[in-house]
Amino acid sequence: MTVLAIRQLESYSEHSVVFPAFTMELTRHEAVALHTGMNVRSVLLGMLTGKLPVTGGEICINGHIYTGRIREAAPDTGFLLLEEGHYTRLTVKENLRFYSKLYGSGRPVDEIIRMVRLDTKAGVRLSALSHSERKRVQYARLIIQDPQLLICEEPDQNVDNETKLVFRRLVQQVCESGKAVLIITGNMETALSVTNQVYRLDEKGLQAFDIQAGEESSTGSAVSEQDADTYRQSADEAEPLPEEGGHPDSEMSTEDELPDEAGQTLQLFRFEKIPTRMNDKIILFNPPEIDYVESSDGQTRLSIGGELYPTAFKINELEERLHSYGFFRCHRSYLVNLQKVREVITFTRNSYSLVLDDTAKTSVPLSKTKMAELKEMMGLK
Amino acid sequence: MTFSARRIFAILQKDYKDLSRNLYVTTTLFMPLLMAALFGRMGMGTISSYYIVINMGFILVATYVQSALIAEEKEKNTLRGLMLSPASTMEIFCGKSLLSFIATAVVVTGSILLSNYNPRNMAVIAIALLLSAVFYVGLGTLIGLFTKSVMEASVVIVPVMLIFTSGSLLIPLIEKYPVLAVVEYMPNLQLLELADRVETGAGLGDTLLHLLVILAWVLVIHAVAAYVYKKRMVDE
Repeated sequence: MTVLAIRQLESYSEHSVVFPAFTMELTRHEAVALHTGMNVRSVLLGMLTGKLPVTGGEICINGHIYTGRIREAAPDTGFLLLEEGHYTRLTVKENLRFYSKLYGSGRPVDEIIRMVRLDTKAGVRLSALSHSERKRVQYARLIIQDPQLLICEEPDQNVDNETKLVFRRLVQQVCESGKAVLIITGNMETALSVTNQVYRLDEKGLQAFDIQAGEESSTGSAVSEQDADTYRQSADEAEPLPEEGGHPDSEMSTEDELPDEAGQTLQLFRFEKIPTRMNDKIILFNPPEIDYVESSDGQTRLSIGGELYPTAFKINELEERLHSYGFFRCHRSYLVNLQKVREVITFTRNSYSLVLDDTAKTSVPLSKTKMAELKEMMGLK
Repeated sequence: MTFSARRIFAILQKDYKDLSRNLYVTTTLFMPLLMAALFGRMGMGTISSYYIVINMGFILVATYVQSALIAEEKEKNTLRGLMLSPASTMEIFCGKSLLSFIATAVVVTGSILLSNYNPRNMAVIAIALLLSAVFYVGLGTLIGLFTKSVMEASVVIVPVMLIFTSGSLLIPLIEKYPVLAVVEYMPNLQLLELADRVETGAGLGDTLLHLLVILAWVLVIHAVAAYVYKKRMVDE
């Protein structure tokens, strides 16, 4: 059963697009995370809380269709907002008793206090609690409200690990009891920690992240070693998530990488990041982050986001290491990340150039012999 | 939308607890009582001096407490949360008004007792005071809607207090400048005049006009508050 359906919702502010028309559905037992920027987040939440009118498209909550301004959707929807006020002079218990009466909940307050791990603080005024503990009071309020649809804005920003754990459990429980959760966050880690269904919403529209393989190519440095480990385990279990019309980049990398990744698990552990040296510091880069590698005067440099980082490896060594990540030796002294290539330009009959998909539109030379190889790889021959 | 007494009492109880721990507001509650005790001991037994104290009670308790309750919800960003809850706007404001009203009743009764004011016709005075209390609570709601924080509300309350407690001082001025006769229809002056008449032995029938004027004020102030709420809350 669909709890929340957003159909062709779009938003423009003056001359710019906040987000183009998109459609998504959220059914019971489901948690979905939207990875967005702040702009999109505030507009979307404004619409959902009824602060802003729904300008284009419609939002459907529990079968009620809303266009224009959302009103009275409240009983079915619970909001966990980032900037929510608290009655700081009341104790935790008094606060929750008040919410309990307000929402007419029959659940004993003590049980809920234990669920959010505030039992030692039950008699303490909220003004004496830490930010994380107050956030837990907010979670408790939602447990009391017990809504069909839970909408969370940056649910675990600036909170301690215990609170993050409480939040993860809360989402799990809510989903198990047949309710739906929508998390709107700018932090990929938050999104990944609670659900496998992560979408990105920005001015280019709604895109699904293919969590198993897409995670690395899209989040880059945000993915820690630990995540890479779990990723390797899950890669063994075959079947990547269904690609819901996701961007071609991630699909391509899925096909390229998966067999190789499975092989790597047999070698136990292999260090995948490429170390570079800069001002006596060693910086590690995830292969998908690298745009291209260039070698001149016997020095190999990685180009990442327009900056060059020298590395101790020879370009031949890197070619071998990075082959599985979709890197292509396009020239004697260049190794390019094929997923970042946007255009292939022919200058004369014998000289070619690859234009990358970055802001500076960097071009990388492509030698004639390699052109044939590339064409073959792309299936153009 | 259902009107639920349970939610009103939940809000009332919450606000009571919150208020009782707010030293800033509770200390002002004792001001009228202190004044009443002082006036009573000093033997200033004129009707107008009693009503200075009573009006001060109305302003400092009904208006100030009510405006502080609303302004604080706005200041602490909790009003939005309340509005997203099943409690309707009516219920939220009823809960708050009820608390201010009860506090007013307690403080005003206390100050009447302390200042040894014994009206000749208690029933008429009681009706008039009750109506006035409702008016001042409405005034407090209005101020609460206009201000954004408790601090702001306590600044706004000062001129309001001057206007409504200095009632009797204005009477000589009215005699001098007839234009100011309009001022006589202010609810505080109406109350004062009514009390004067009661002392001369007037009954309910004789004072009906004054009661009606106060009632009109009650209706007007609440209508304005409702209008301002609609206008302001949509913007925010």
